[in-house]
Amino acid sequence: MPDTERSWLAEMESRSLAKQEAFINGIAAKLQRPRVLDKPAHPFRGAPDFWQTFEWPVTERIERFTENFRSAGGHVSRLPDLDAARSFIAGKAAEMEARHILRQDGPELEALNLEGCLPEPVRVAVWNREPGDNWKERAAEADFGVVYADYAAAYTGSITVLSDAGKGRSVSLLPTVLMAIVPVERLKTRLGEILGDFDRSGTGALPAGIHFISGPSRSADIENDLTIGVHGPGIVYALIIG
Amino acid sequence: MIDRGTTASTVKERAQLALNDDFLRKAVKFTTERLRNGKEAAAEQHGNWEEWRERGKQIRLHTIAYLDYYLNLFADNARANGVHVHFAETADEAVKITLAIAEHRGARSVVKSKSMVTEELHLNRALESIGVEAVETDLGEYIIQLAGETPSHIIIPAIHKNRYQIADLLSAEAGEILPPDTAILAGFVRRKLREKFLEADIGMTGCNFAIAETGSMVLFENEGNARMVTTVPKTQITLMGMERIIPSWADLEVMATLLPRSATGQKMTVYMSGITGPKRKHDADGPEEMHIIIVDNGRSLQLGDPEFQELLNCIRCGACLNACPVYRHIGGHAYGGTYSGPIGAVLTPALNGNVAEWDDIANASSLCGACYEACPVKIPLHEMLVYLRRRKVEAGRGSKAESLGMKGFAAVMGGARRYRTALKLAQLGQKLVVRDGGIRMKVGPLKGWSSYRVTPALADRSFRQRWDTLEQEIRSGLSEIDPTVQKRMEQKRQERGQEQGGHGHA
Amino acid sequence: MKVSLFITCLGDALYPRVGEAMARLLARNGVVLDFPRVQTCCGQPAFNSGYWKEARTTARTILEAFEDSDFVISPSGSCTGMIHHYPKLFENEPVWLEKAENLQRKSYEFTQFLVQVMGITDVGASFPFKVTYHPSCHGSRLLGVREEPLELMRNVKGLELVPLPFAEDCCGFGGTFAVKMADISGAMVTEKTDHVLESEAEVLVGLDMACLMNIAGNLRYRGGAVRVIHLAELLEEGVSRHDR
Repeated sequence: MPDTERSWLAEMESRSLAKQEAFINGIAAKLQRPRVLDKPAHPFRGAPDFWQTFEWPVTERIERFTENFRSAGGHVSRLPDLDAARSFIAGKAAEMEARHILRQDGPELEALNLEGCLPEPVRVAVWNREPGDNWKERAAEADFGVVYADYAAAYTGSITVLSDAGKGRSVSLLPTVLMAIVPVERLKTRLGEILGDFDRSGTGALPAGIHFISGPSRSADIENDLTIGVHGPGIVYALIIG
Repeated sequence: MIDRGTTASTVKERAQLALNDDFLRKAVKFTTERLRNGKEAAAEQHGNWEEWRERGKQIRLHTIAYLDYYLNLFADNARANGVHVHFAETADEAVKITLAIAEHRGARSVVKSKSMVTEELHLNRALESIGVEAVETDLGEYIIQLAGETPSHIIIPAIHKNRYQIADLLSAEAGEILPPDTAILAGFVRRKLREKFLEADIGMTGCNFAIAETGSMVLFENEGNARMVTTVPKTQITLMGMERIIPSWADLEVMATLLPRSATGQKMTVYMSGITGPKRKHDADGPEEMHIIIVDNGRSLQLGDPEFQELLNCIRCGACLNACPVYRHIGGHAYGGTYSGPIGAVLTPALNGNVAEWDDIANASSLCGACYEACPVKIPLHEMLVYLRRRKVEAGRGSKAESLGMKGFAAVMGGARRYRTALKLAQLGQKLVVRDGGIRMKVGPLKGWSSYRVTPALADRSFRQRWDTLEQEIRSGLSEIDPTVQKRMEQKRQERGQEQGGHGHA
Repeated sequence: MKVSLFITCLGDALYPRVGEAMARLLARNGVVLDFPRVQTCCGQPAFNSGYWKEARTTARTILEAFEDSDFVISPSGSCTGMIHHYPKLFENEPVWLEKAENLQRKSYEFTQFLVQVMGITDVGASFPFKVTYHPSCHGSRLLGVREEPLELMRNVKGLELVPLPFAEDCCGFGGTFAVKMADISGAMVTEKTDHVLESEAEVLVGLDMACLMNIAGNLRYRGGAVRVIHLAELLEEGVSRHDR
């Protein structure tokens, strides 16, 4: 970034800080009381009490997740291990004639070893492995994006992916088909079990992107007629492992 | 600043246009009914809906009551995450900040996900004025943009258009004839907008919720366009109303429970994204630079106003539109402002601080309370509509005829004797107009009323004229009261000595 | 115990038969109604249109009329609902505010009183017709009167309750709304009577004469042959029918 830009941003920043003071003081004045500087007691934080203890046993979590994800138009397969996941993905790649597969980086997907088992001409790329490549474009041309989910919630049928250097947000977004591997121990009952972790990690420790995905991209904007695959992946598989 | 959509200047005139548009009425009715049923089914299936609503309301009440604390915390945390935070008191300021960023980044194009705030600011027009292309990427918004219109529903912007109209709009854009097939039309938009996402310099979003304790912003959507907008371009600008704050991620669970169910009947939108700052150093996607512009634009006028502060609790789900029988018949454009339906009828005059000029939309309600019942955070919109009407009258801006009529009403009803006399006169006078026990005359202020109904005649003898005879009759034929009923009544009378307020008021 | 009738202006001037039915029905159950003649109108037309000063003038007649009543019952959920707005209306007049709060605590819509206070759910009526029910907005949404009328009807012999499609939708009356926004209101009431006709009911019953006047007026305008009555009338007619 050129220096002029840097100084422009710095100037905006100092103006914003001054403005913040006036803006926040204005709110307190409108509320007709002195400014509140200490954390107020929040007796209604989060879901109602009865909800906080609600938890399904693992078999029911799997059933409900499957039911919810399917009713949103997604596909679910329960597989015993990563070997089964590898053959499942290879099978789908052959069936759909996928050419470009993009996967996240990380030890679990490294162990999956998709690269080693998919025959030519299928190419498997690993997100951000070589710096400098235009990874967003690589994601846009990919037929399959393969991710390893950080969490899943059965009650809403959602999978959660967190971003980092090896885990691009584009991998779950730009390819035509999304394959999400969900280890069963990461499948929770409620959203709140997942969201609580973000409160606990707090500012500074959160990833830039936290994405809950609950099926294929959809729209009902034309005459309320459901259309699948508007901008994001139109075909989404959740592979529950274990 | 207000774009009224059509040349008609009053709600009544605009409603007239809508009422004569059969297609519009059918389309709006069909979709709102579906959404309303979906919402009811989702609430029922989730269970304990009233407790969740109450919880949602309490979280919003609490946040707004301490908005200075939470908004300040949010701004500090967002900055710590590397976000450039800006504050805009007016629409004008927000536009200026946005344009400055666009100019400094040498932007040629902006891709936008759905944002009602940017509609308030008329930001697309402003961007175009400095030669920046602004592309709406939500399917419905894209259609509306091609048509050169404004959204007529918070959630379904193109609710008033059918597939044939949409096919025409998209065909013109494609340069070829596209059939009116939803999948084909959506497929065209996917391809077309893919190019736009990949070449855009700036991604622009609204904000569903902003989490104070971590400085994160949260977006709910189904298409994936908001994810595109926050992932692909190098610069992200988020415009958020200053009231979008919630304290924590734990509170987000409640909002995530209420919002999708109330909006579309979904358990969850396809995507819920929490964005915390620009991309990290080693990330290969996500914006390099992120701005959040916090907008007041009339919101703070509600703070400290006991009758309207709750308006800031709104989570923009659109459930009140779907439940509203008036919206169903006239659609969104008849309301004339950025926001339509019951929430728009209150929010538009409230944000503009010019109650008197906008009061006619406050009149476009039968005060049936369906909006309040549907609202996931229990905003008493039906009561606020009455407060708006009162404020107009108090400001001396009421209609002369109505004001005179109400004075007459109070004069007659202010005492039983005058009332009795007036009633007798009316009983006599009506003989001129009553035919077959009804009145069908279409004259004067009742012309509209009589265009749809036969008015019943006054009774020959009013209840109060009959009372003496009736009282004699019931006293002579009186049954003995059941002692258990008697005891129950005594008990009820005693109980209410302790209770606060009245029974009822659900 | 003093159980007073708040007749409402429509009930007084247009539909005295509703008040008569209420009085007879209660007398059959051992309660003689009291009727304070100083009452006029609850003030709702002025209140809803924003003319609160005028609303207060008429509301005072109601507050005075029922000052020493133990229970105040009305044939209209909307007018009783208006009494629930009195504390807000008089929030800056402490003396009247206290009266307003007292009145609110002892005011009931007719079926609410019958079921909640007296504990009566079967009045011993028979009414061998196909009936449909329009739950008026203010009664059901603001007072929470939902189950009471249904329970009373379920216990009427021979009565066949048929569902009214989209029953909970407003009929489009809304007081001055029906005059000021006549075409929107007209569209709403026409949709309502479409549904009434679709239900194939012989009788439409409700708890609010304003809504019923609106619906009946439109039915008559369209030439629809459905009898429109208040539930009190139905019950009283059903009891005298049963007695015969």
